[in-house]
Amino acid sequence: MTSSVNSITAETPRGSIACVGVGMTLGSHLTPLARSHIQQADVVFAAVSDNVVEMWLERMHPDVRSLQPYYGEGKPRMVTYREWVEVMMTEVRAGKRVCAVFYGHPGIFAWSPHKVIEVARAEGFAARMEPGISAEDCLYADLGIDPGKFGCQHLEASQLLYYDHEIDPTGYVVLWQVGMVGNRSIARDGHGGGHRELLLERLTQDYPLDLEVTIYRCATLPIEQPRIRRLTLQELPHAEISAEETVVFPPAKPLKRNRRFIERLAALDNEQVA
Amino acid sequence: MLDTLDTLEAIGQDAGLRYAAPEDLTEASALAEASDALKTAIREGNGLALANEFGSRVMQLVQVNLSPGREDEEPEEEGDEPEPSRPTGPDSL
Ligand SMILES: C[S@@+](CC[C@H](N)C(=O)[O-])C[C@H]1O[C@@H](n2cnc3c(N)ncnc32)[C@H](O)[C@@H]1O
Repeated sequence: MTSSVNSITAETPRGSIACVGVGMTLGSHLTPLARSHIQQADVVFAAVSDNVVEMWLERMHPDVRSLQPYYGEGKPRMVTYREWVEVMMTEVRAGKRVCAVFYGHPGIFAWSPHKVIEVARAEGFAARMEPGISAEDCLYADLGIDPGKFGCQHLEASQLLYYDHEIDPTGYVVLWQVGMVGNRSIARDGHGGGHRELLLERLTQDYPLDLEVTIYRCATLPIEQPRIRRLTLQELPHAEISAEETVVFPPAKPLKRNRRFIERLAALDNEQVA
Repeated sequence: MLDTLDTLEAIGQDAGLRYAAPEDLTEASALAEASDALKTAIREGNGLALANEFGSRVMQLVQVNLSPGREDEEPEEEGDEPEPSRPTGPDSL
């Protein structure tokens, strides 16, 4: 028995991968556990938002490999992200403890961290994700929004055009990647206007044109303040919206009582009293 | 002596420094030896001036592609609804 346990241990690949987030703000959001993953890794891959953040990571580990060079002009982002999975897996297969570092939360609106974990596990390697503080977390704090108060939907702007999503205007709606709508590769900026006109058309199915929306950017350096701009929905197609901004729609209609369930709840309560 | 990266990390970790007004922050003792680039960045409230110290680099932001027909997707039958992914239940563990 012992020998078979030993042989399993000996044959189990030692390579592993941890996908961690550095959070949004340098110095403020990195969790002790994420830092430890970085420090204990053999190789660190980095997909962060700012070159200062990348240099900060280099302080924590001598072998930090930027994933930025895999982007290319006119190259579809999905090709880049597949390559990321491959370069990370190459190190895992070589028996390395790999740490992949992403800005924010590694699993929020990101494809490759989820994918690399799926691939690694399928091949029998240890793989895990550690949560990080995302733009979502920051916006609740900076804009004073409680997602539980009216409900809160999170949608990706392009997906809202490609698929028949049902928007619930009685709750908050957070629209991600508005600055990138219709943009599958790098250096196709300037195409946003027409795509955003379509986005406006879609949004006006649920919202009035004069609805005040918030364009939000949280601080990425600790010497910055959040940037919060308010404009009307009709101004959205022509507003400057960067890749680092998120658009928040307030509830535009009152919550509707569900009479049927209220009555059934009351009936239950009465039964219990009787 | 703390250099710019250490100082930024220190500001990010200190509740007093993180929300100090720029004029108070540049005068704080922790920043006595801060570089001109960092002091300018603090005054301006953004990292642009740090390029003078670190150089600038265009960084692409990770974006997801959730549109149909992306490279990792199964080809969709015309009129097919995308399968909602089911959370893993205890019986499929
Ligand atoms: C692919 S998602 C990545 C999100 C990231 N994983 C997170 O945890 O926040 C990119 C989108 O995040 C949002 N985002 C990125 N940086 C931001 C910032 N500094 N402030 C607000 N939203 C931001 C924007 O909507 C952007 O289009």
